[in-house]
Amino acid sequence: MSRVSERILVLDGTATYGPEIIGGKGASIARMRALALPVPPAFVLPIEECRRYHAGDGGLEDPVWEAVLTGVAGLERDTGRRLGDPEAPLLVSVRSGAAVSMPGMMDTILNLGMTDAVEEGLARLSGDAGFARETHVRFVHEFGHTVLGADLDPPAGDATADDTRAAVREDTGAEVPTDPHDQLRAAILAVFDSWTSRRAVAYRRHWNIPQDGGTAVVVQAMVFGNLGEESGTGVLFTRDPLNGDPEPFGDWLPGGQGEDVVAGTHDPLPLSALAASLPAAHEELIAAGRLLEREHGDVQDIEFTIERGRLYLLQARAAKRSPQAAVRTAVELVETGAIDVATALGRVTPEQLETVLAPLLPDEVTAAAEVLARGTPACPGVASGRVVRTSDEAEVADDVVVLARPTTSPEDVSGMISAAGVVTERGGATSHAAVVSRALGRPSVVGVGEDVTAPWAGEVVTVDGSKGVVYAGRLATADVRVEDVPGLERLIGWARERGPAAVVHDAPDALDLDELGITVAPDAAPDVDELVERMRGAPAVRGSVLSTAQGAQAVARSGVTTVVALPGQHAATLLLRLAQARES
Amino acid sequence: MQDETTQVRDIELLALHGLAVKKAGSAVAVADILGREEAEVAGALDDAARAGRAMAAKGMYMVTPAGRSWLDEQYPVAFARFRADPESAAAYERFERVNRELLTLFTDWQMMPAGGERIPNDHSDPDYDRDIVDRLGALHERGLKPLDRFRALDERLGEYPRRLEQAYDKVLAGEHEFVSGARVDSYHTVWFELHEDLLRMLGREREVYE
Repeated sequence: MSRVSERILVLDGTATYGPEIIGGKGASIARMRALALPVPPAFVLPIEECRRYHAGDGGLEDPVWEAVLTGVAGLERDTGRRLGDPEAPLLVSVRSGAAVSMPGMMDTILNLGMTDAVEEGLARLSGDAGFARETHVRFVHEFGHTVLGADLDPPAGDATADDTRAAVREDTGAEVPTDPHDQLRAAILAVFDSWTSRRAVAYRRHWNIPQDGGTAVVVQAMVFGNLGEESGTGVLFTRDPLNGDPEPFGDWLPGGQGEDVVAGTHDPLPLSALAASLPAAHEELIAAGRLLEREHGDVQDIEFTIERGRLYLLQARAAKRSPQAAVRTAVELVETGAIDVATALGRVTPEQLETVLAPLLPDEVTAAAEVLARGTPACPGVASGRVVRTSDEAEVADDVVVLARPTTSPEDVSGMISAAGVVTERGGATSHAAVVSRALGRPSVVGVGEDVTAPWAGEVVTVDGSKGVVYAGRLATADVRVEDVPGLERLIGWARERGPAAVVHDAPDALDLDELGITVAPDAAPDVDELVERMRGAPAVRGSVLSTAQGAQAVARSGVTTVVALPGQHAATLLLRLAQARES
Repeated sequence: MQDETTQVRDIELLALHGLAVKKAGSAVAVADILGREEAEVAGALDDAARAGRAMAAKGMYMVTPAGRSWLDEQYPVAFARFRADPESAAAYERFERVNRELLTLFTDWQMMPAGGERIPNDHSDPDYDRDIVDRLGALHERGLKPLDRFRALDERLGEYPRRLEQAYDKVLAGEHEFVSGARVDSYHTVWFELHEDLLRMLGREREVYE
């Protein structure tokens, strides 16, 4: 990495610095550049500059600003564009980046460098005046919101930059700068100031993070998927995040820009369309994905843009995945040598395993069942019970009930706690019923339609909160077998080999912790030391407390070699917990 | 029953109103909503129980259907000034904006995106959670603005920013149950009570979001 001056570092991959010097985001860009991956040019003001800023008397010192201008000149050279030039405009993003990420740091500002003249130029270059206007509006809105603290409605579809400026002025009394250099200076200062925001200070206090650190500022050239032919934007997952299939999976939006894919405003094409139209860029992308997956030992979620045939990686991070995919990818990454067995065992949480092994409604059962209603799936799982239509009834019921309400409010929470499942007539995935059901883990379907549930009162129904369907009657669920889940047998095999104890379904002389009154309390974690004391020397143990991380740790520490699974406990989950307890 | 401000001080009404916001609760919990002394609230709730407007059992209270009808009759009079003041409508409009974003946030907290679908958030990804905690903080700060305006209209509503602050502080300290947990005074619980309180005061219906 070249030091243009002592005040900024150019992230060109010639050297890498750790997050403690240039923040997490800067370090990540530097690492990708060091792997020779195509990342838009960038420079960073190191954390040290933030410290100096807060030690000083406010404002950017002249040598810092001069260094920033040198950095911008470098971006201009690399891109062939210039800040504020309508014929070839350079737009940049400005991001904060502390050594460890924390709440309160300033959000990213995109499209910095936008002016009225640049908007006109961009309209000509892209042949899309609407895009140029929207980009300008988005910048003014983001700057007003993030730097100036304006509380704004999302901009209307036909809003102009002037409208948005006026809205910012009205709310804050401050102006969004029209000069690109003023914009950049203000954004950098806002990042430094965000280090001492109330939230950031409170967070550091809670977590004993020193207050005298600081945040780096990353300034990066923006690339465009909608300028010229052979351009577009997309997302690549190195493996399928839903089922773990090891084939690259993703979306490609020709002529799309930035958030278009994520926002879901346009319908993207599959990656095969990219392979057909731009095979070289596609191949480079797949190779980059493979390299990053090996480097990080994990499935990658990569945002990319192709500008005039040239690939740029905008962001790469570990991909979110379904519990099924978590199991399969953990095992397959071991098989390819990317990670070791101990790492794989840590990649799947016991909760994910419980979800994978949760009983399902088999297709042959649902095919023969009467569908009472369909709605929005709000909390996964299956529950059957007698329908009650008020929370009071749910609270006093002696049998298992499903609460069906027009809608729910705080008044219904105790009824929801008493019910096995929840159905509402109105509301979507963000409604009160949905939020509370998920918090309680109650299978739930919302928004089934006005007055739909009234005739169900007293009837038994089955709620499938995974699919969003309510069936008449009590439907039989089917257990999921370990061998039905790709990769699970191997994973459990490793857990068995490495775990401190065997898991069996019965053993003579097993110490029953539940009978000793040692159970799981709702508001306190089990005491490992006490558990170790109680179980030491026992030939085998059983108990609900063994479904907790503390219970598993106690088994590992006590030297007990056999755990007996209770009827509600999955042997697979107990084995995974025990293996994780040994590794920890 | 009203002084010269928009503020309502009548404890008989307020205690039952606070109980309706919570549905069921102890005098302590209702007093926490109202920012009043527990003894005073307990007395008012016992009076309400004698008048058939509430039920009392083992220190817990609940509004009766008669109590609800009584409240519905009282609201238009008791909150006439609050309802007529253009400032309350303007503040409510700001409140609604934050409300919509908060509801989306609670969903994001519980369900995370994975390849175009949403799966339950098992909190195995600290970066994902931290990002949401950060957004909650930004919305918390934005929400304080309309809440300040409400507090200027009725001092009692200042109890909500205090309770929201407590919930958010616990979230920052890593007690994730306080984002949207239903069994504690989580951010979602307090925010929803606030929303319910405002809707009752303003005589509005809850919007249904997709």
